[in-house]
Amino acid sequence: MAEPSPAGHFHPEDAPGYESILQCMRCGFCLAVCPTYALTNRERSSPRGRAALARAVAEGKLEFTPAVRDESFLCLDCKACSTACPSGVRVGTIMEFCRSQAQVFHPPSLPAGMLRDFILKRMLPSPALMENSMLPARLYQRLGIQWAVRSLGINRFLPGALAKMEGILPKLATPLRLEIPELIPALGKKRGRVGFFLGCAMSLVFPEVSRQTARILSQQGFDVVTPKEVKCCGAPHLAEGDRETARRLARINIDLFLALEVDFIVTDCAGCGCALKEYEELLEETADHERIGRFKAKVRDISEFLAETGIRTEDLRPVPLSVTYHEPCHLVHGQGLSVPPRQVIRAIPGVELREMKESNWCCGMAGSFALKELETSRRILERKLGHVRATGADALVTANPGCHLQLAWGVRELGMKQPVLHIVELLGKALPQ
Amino acid sequence: MLKKTVIDHLRQKVGAGNVYHEKEDLLVYGYDATPEITGFPDVAVFPENREGLRAALEVGREEGLAVTPRGAATGLSGGSTPFRGGMALGLTRMNRILEIDEENLTLTAEAGVITIDLFNAAAAKGLFYPPDPGSQNVSTLGGNVAENAGGLRGLKYGVTRNYVMALSGFLYDGTEFHAGNKCVKDVAGYSLRDLLVGSEGTLGIITEVTVRLINPPQDKRTLLAYFKDIRTAGDAVSKIIAARIIPATLEIMDRTTINCVEDYAGIGLPRDMGALLLIEVDGHPAVVAEEAAGVQKILEEVRADVIRQAANTQEALQLAAARRTALSAVARVSPTTILEDTTVPRSRLAETFAEIERLREKYGLRVATFGHAGDGNLHPTAVTDERNREEVARVHAFFSDLYEKVLSMGGTVSGEHGIGIAKKGYLLRQFGEGGMEVMRRIKKSFDPDGGLNPGKIFLDEGVSAGVKIPGGTHG
Repeated sequence: MAEPSPAGHFHPEDAPGYESILQCMRCGFCLAVCPTYALTNRERSSPRGRAALARAVAEGKLEFTPAVRDESFLCLDCKACSTACPSGVRVGTIMEFCRSQAQVFHPPSLPAGMLRDFILKRMLPSPALMENSMLPARLYQRLGIQWAVRSLGINRFLPGALAKMEGILPKLATPLRLEIPELIPALGKKRGRVGFFLGCAMSLVFPEVSRQTARILSQQGFDVVTPKEVKCCGAPHLAEGDRETARRLARINIDLFLALEVDFIVTDCAGCGCALKEYEELLEETADHERIGRFKAKVRDISEFLAETGIRTEDLRPVPLSVTYHEPCHLVHGQGLSVPPRQVIRAIPGVELREMKESNWCCGMAGSFALKELETSRRILERKLGHVRATGADALVTANPGCHLQLAWGVRELGMKQPVLHIVELLGKALPQ
Repeated sequence: MLKKTVIDHLRQKVGAGNVYHEKEDLLVYGYDATPEITGFPDVAVFPENREGLRAALEVGREEGLAVTPRGAATGLSGGSTPFRGGMALGLTRMNRILEIDEENLTLTAEAGVITIDLFNAAAAKGLFYPPDPGSQNVSTLGGNVAENAGGLRGLKYGVTRNYVMALSGFLYDGTEFHAGNKCVKDVAGYSLRDLLVGSEGTLGIITEVTVRLINPPQDKRTLLAYFKDIRTAGDAVSKIIAARIIPATLEIMDRTTINCVEDYAGIGLPRDMGALLLIEVDGHPAVVAEEAAGVQKILEEVRADVIRQAANTQEALQLAAARRTALSAVARVSPTTILEDTTVPRSRLAETFAEIERLREKYGLRVATFGHAGDGNLHPTAVTDERNREEVARVHAFFSDLYEKVLSMGGTVSGEHGIGIAKKGYLLRQFGEGGMEVMRRIKKSFDPDGGLNPGKIFLDEGVSAGVKIPGGTHG
């Protein structure tokens, strides 16, 4: 019979499952959809190549070399390969494990490691710390420095990553977490009670978007409960290879939302939704599966939720706009949700949906990738925006804060006309005042 | 390990970014999609043009390296694995479409162009390139030509060979060749072009290909039939062909495949049926109507248990998509999928199905069978786990017995995957020593040094330790 699964040259703790790697039959179907392979034409930067590297490490044929680490971080974790894979291999997930292994075999230098630990283990788990950390950025904008920097073109002289960081941040308002009521009652005939999972990026960077989400849910007949004790979903931790903190956050969020006794847990952040749905896997060895199963069964992306429960359209006003839709990787590939967002868009009277080519191709944001791999990220973004431009649509719609930031930045940089809207902002325009 | 001077020399000639020699790169240029078979090159080189390729080949020759050409490495017989080490020569960076000649209805492209890109470029001009191997979204034209790839449309439209008009490239010794042209008729000399098509990279390295394009069909109709007994489905296929109806597609799935597809896609296929046939007729609307009626009549005559015509394009597409997910669905079941391409004369299909069933029971295996029934080209697919050596041995015994039967019926050991490494033993059984000797002489005349893709096709070229040659111990 089959031999026991070896960890080989992986560190036994948080090693990718050997079975999950072995499932790759090397058919190469993933090569057609991998953004990094499309750019490099280098097999090791393809999903099939990355799986083969992981397999070689697991079988003791290769050490966990710097090249393996680099490939795990060059992977966008866009999960397009999971959609394309006939045999159900999830290379993005295998690479998340490899990123965690990278911390063991190639720990960052002391200052970089301290910064990383501070961000992942202290700041992200604490909403208040995060909110404070954004204060300088808000001050910078309030005092008009951003306006001055941009209009004088000083940002052109900043080093690449800083310039992009400066350029990508939209105008910041007060974080929504501090302002949103714990309970927003349902309007009209009540249809249920939902817990709103307010993601960090949404609260901090796109408070107005999430305000629309809550407003829509209430208008659609749901009590909206938004717990202020909500923690980061853990996605950044998985992406950076800190599985331990991710597990800690997951347990807190599960307890928090199960205690609310809501019918559904809704989020308007594709990244959060994907992470929440993967809690079961994350906590595979440690936790109470009945509880996690109950939690998971309630999680919905906002589009998924609206499409499933049926949108009450009788009060909607027409929105005369042509739009094109960019599918967030964590929605289409991470959660398999391609149809529901389109159903929501088409349900809005007056809106014309114009499909772009490769709508499910990554925009190049991919968490911190857009700042770490500036050039690669920019090239992926340009491919995307070319397709957006070709539609001639009035607006570009998406459903995830990461994509939103990246696309809005790209649109500004290239002087394109399309404003970037979250799908709930589009729907919000149709809602009665 | 190659000397650093050799690497530097290659980089200088081909471009620094086109030469790889780190272990992490070499590891991933050792495989294709064939289970259990991997090689390990000493260097991987990806020229961007003919001059770069010529230079790489020259360095390979000077250093006495084996050279193994490689497209997208989606092959299913090990043809592009650098089995003896040496140089993996990638063609994927020579991927330009050079010309679409609308007067002669041809398209000329570099070997690394992806099949679907070629198809789309032709379609943009209102033309049609029919060969559609399962890996068309990633496979390269050069790889398709080298393996003479087939696909779902093979029955009516033929395979890659039927569309290749001209080829050019290099022999191992650096000789440049141009074989064929845009002429519809051409009987000048031996047909080098036809020798090179399907030569699996053992005779020459193909750098450019001119293919023939045709008019796309104006109309199309899709039928679906379910059978309780797969042998009845086999009968239906033989009768359709005997009635001189040539559908564009005539695909079969057995019970195991139906259930895997249903588990995976959940599109409402009946789990209790023994087989389904997917039939697509295309062409002029009048012919399509006539052929669809003819097929329907035959299905009724053999008493198919359910017969359906797709109501609209949407439904037809959904049915075709279900067939395309067959391998996917089967592959999910277990870690290792051993996919063969047994092919028999179409009149012997029912017998072949019975034999597959008998052997499956004899060896106690899980086998899903699907494939291009209209071509007699089946993909019996064993789902196993390569770590379970005992079961894998049974899988190989299963296929060995099956090929014995297939050959006794006048079939072939490969319909569309090629011989590569995986089927060397079976090829000897099919051709015998005499046939193999003729092939050996052909190989010698193209590649006297034996430097190009060594270890493939010919059993006596030996194998390196640890690689098992299925069927090799027999006969």
